[in-house]
Amino acid sequence: MTKKRNLLRVGACAMTAALVLTACRGGDSGSSEAGGGITDEPCPDAVNPDNGCIYLGAISDLTKGPFAPLAVPITDAQEAFWAQVNEDGGVGGYDINLTDHIADSEYNPELHNRKYQEMRDDVAALAQTLGSSQTLAILEDMKADDVIGVPASWNSAWEFEDQILESGASYCFEAMNGVDWAVAERGVANKVVAVGYAGDYGGDAAAGVEVAAEANGLEYVALETPAGQENQTGAISQILGEQPDLVYISTGPAEMATIVGGLAQNGFTGTVVGSSPTWNPALLQSAAAPALEALYFQAGPWGPFGTDTPGHQKMRDALGDVTPNDGYTAGWAWSYALLATLEAAADLDGGITRENLVKAAGELESVDYEGMLPEDAGATDGDPNETAFRQSVISRVDPSAPTGVTIEQDFTAGPTVSDFDFTEPCFSLQ
Amino acid sequence: MTTIVRSPRLRGRALATTSYAQDMGLLNTPAKRRSTLVMVVLGFLVPFLLTDDLLQIATLGMISAVGAIGLNLVTGYAGQVSLGHAFFIGVGAYTGAVLGGSETSLVVGYDLPMWIWLPGAGIVAALAGLLVGPLAVRLRGLYLAIVTLGLVFLGDHVFREARSLTGGPGVGRRGPDLNVFGIDLRESGSVLGLELAREQRQFLFALLFLIVFAVLARNIARSGVGRAFSAVRDRDVAAAIIGVDLTKYKVMAFAMSSFFAGVTGALYYAVLGVFDPSAFGLLMSIQYLAMILIGGVATISGSIMGAMFIAFLGRLSGEIAHVVPGITTGSGGGGVLTVFQLEAILYGLLIIVFLIFEPRGLFGIWLRIRNYWKGWPFSY
Repeated sequence: MTKKRNLLRVGACAMTAALVLTACRGGDSGSSEAGGGITDEPCPDAVNPDNGCIYLGAISDLTKGPFAPLAVPITDAQEAFWAQVNEDGGVGGYDINLTDHIADSEYNPELHNRKYQEMRDDVAALAQTLGSSQTLAILEDMKADDVIGVPASWNSAWEFEDQILESGASYCFEAMNGVDWAVAERGVANKVVAVGYAGDYGGDAAAGVEVAAEANGLEYVALETPAGQENQTGAISQILGEQPDLVYISTGPAEMATIVGGLAQNGFTGTVVGSSPTWNPALLQSAAAPALEALYFQAGPWGPFGTDTPGHQKMRDALGDVTPNDGYTAGWAWSYALLATLEAAADLDGGITRENLVKAAGELESVDYEGMLPEDAGATDGDPNETAFRQSVISRVDPSAPTGVTIEQDFTAGPTVSDFDFTEPCFSLQ
Repeated sequence: MTTIVRSPRLRGRALATTSYAQDMGLLNTPAKRRSTLVMVVLGFLVPFLLTDDLLQIATLGMISAVGAIGLNLVTGYAGQVSLGHAFFIGVGAYTGAVLGGSETSLVVGYDLPMWIWLPGAGIVAALAGLLVGPLAVRLRGLYLAIVTLGLVFLGDHVFREARSLTGGPGVGRRGPDLNVFGIDLRESGSVLGLELAREQRQFLFALLFLIVFAVLARNIARSGVGRAFSAVRDRDVAAAIIGVDLTKYKVMAFAMSSFFAGVTGALYYAVLGVFDPSAFGLLMSIQYLAMILIGGVATISGSIMGAMFIAFLGRLSGEIAHVVPGITTGSGGGGVLTVFQLEAILYGLLIIVFLIFEPRGLFGIWLRIRNYWKGWPFSY
């Protein structure tokens, strides 16, 4: 018995050693090995069969998660964007394939991590990683793999991460601009209430409101509210009790409409400004529509779907006949930064590799957003205090516009954000 | 002078036992001894065969197997239906993260080594179990299930609000550091002259972790405590009459189960990295119940099989969904179903189909295979 067992053990050890030596398991790649999502073979169904192929990944919220109504158009727009890039001849001798590596993480950090593990050897970069703690769950691995990613969120923390390619002003800066605008244009002079979800989104915006309130000599009150329309009565009565002349909201669209509707019903006549994710054109069909038209303004990182710029036009043409939604606008606008990085990496020694993409992502001096954002908005070459983009757009409700909002004030950086010393994220995630 | 007389085994009659101790032995037949050895050897070979992404799933599967074993102790062996397992896993996860994690501007952390945070997570969860145990003495069956369900909601609220411990919803916090005797399981590199990637290290550690807790649970189950559990499960009044202290054993079952859940929670999120409070909802409790139902109630090997099945189910349904014709692989629009929706549907469907066709669980399949070979060549 003992003899037999020893024999087995020796056999097992020998086998182990042999396996290790021959390294028979696949996918054990370091990032620097050939491949890593960049091949000389053409893409499946390639537009340009002579080009190589770069595979991009997207980890989004496509079915059950809370942001699915926004994330599906974001992902669709990104697919359309890269298809358009291929139509135009590709980048640096490569076509781009996003379709093969789209994953649904249901807005769950655990699944997000798992989906990343599945694609980590097969993609050169992430065209979309949706959610903040979700992105944080894979950030260490992205750094180890030399993978850069486009976040689908506007968190101020991303400005401090070299491998995260954000576009547009963060929730924090957006809030500063929203408050500054309301003070200048709507005569707000006394009190501002910031109401939003607990967590990265609401927290980042509330931090911005607080800074702007202080700069403008306003009294500042912060409220947190849970998700769900039925849970907003507490927030409404608290706001009414504070009697502010400005309310800054960072929740989902339905919650925002409930709050604004409730405020209007109780005779509130001040101003409401919401972060960009508070708007959804479907709200115009809700009972809160008159209240929204009277009170609500949206602070956003760029012009809505119907804006007249070459980039917006190109997006509308590429998408064809779809129900307008600013998820499309976001997905399209975010992609420019990654395109510029790919182009910059193609000009570096060694062409497009993961290492060069990381290098290029930290050295961008400008990004051609085709008018959707100013070119210097994409700069990453320098310290966040210099490169962070500080301008936002303020929109008002307009039932005749494709997504129900039109620009009230075009790209402007208010006095608060212009003087703001940006040395750390407004709201720390970790 | 007394000596313990070992009853001799009958040669060539592996299944004939001549003493109670033999009957209750851990590995009481040569076939079990051999197959266990083979399984363990194969287990240690796996990290050199599978790719990293599969290894990670297997690692998480093995860790949740320990949690499933814990639930099987209280629900399978002692018959106390618990829907509160997610709560105990959460308690363990946050204890582990607070003790072993790093302090940041948002959350507290004490950077203690693993030999403190891992047992610590188990002990704190076990204490929570001790508090719940007495409820089980007064309630039975569905009523107990509802009360333990309440625990999940209670925990969910506390985890969301205790921001300095959990980071709060939408933000979350990092799990504890994974350092075992100076070896960092989060890095790749050579260990004892063997080049091991991060996933391989974690897999091997999780395998050891599972073996330790599986043997521990098996020993609990085959000892006097385990027999008392079964007596309570089969008829608690009868058990009380033959002298089983109901209060003691029910509380004990909850405490032991919670200890298993606690260590599982701590280690699971140490491997995974970041987690947020929404993880510890009812869904997680249901998933653990599914593990033991699919695996086999009141079996240790069943718990392990069930946990591995649930761990790989997401991947499996994903692979199946991708080969089904006529399904759009894009993000949506157009087709009736996207591949992601199909994935979610298949996940539920596979569980249903499985329980309809194999109600005894994976352990039932294993039993049939075993019995076939036991009787071979006269099996029919």
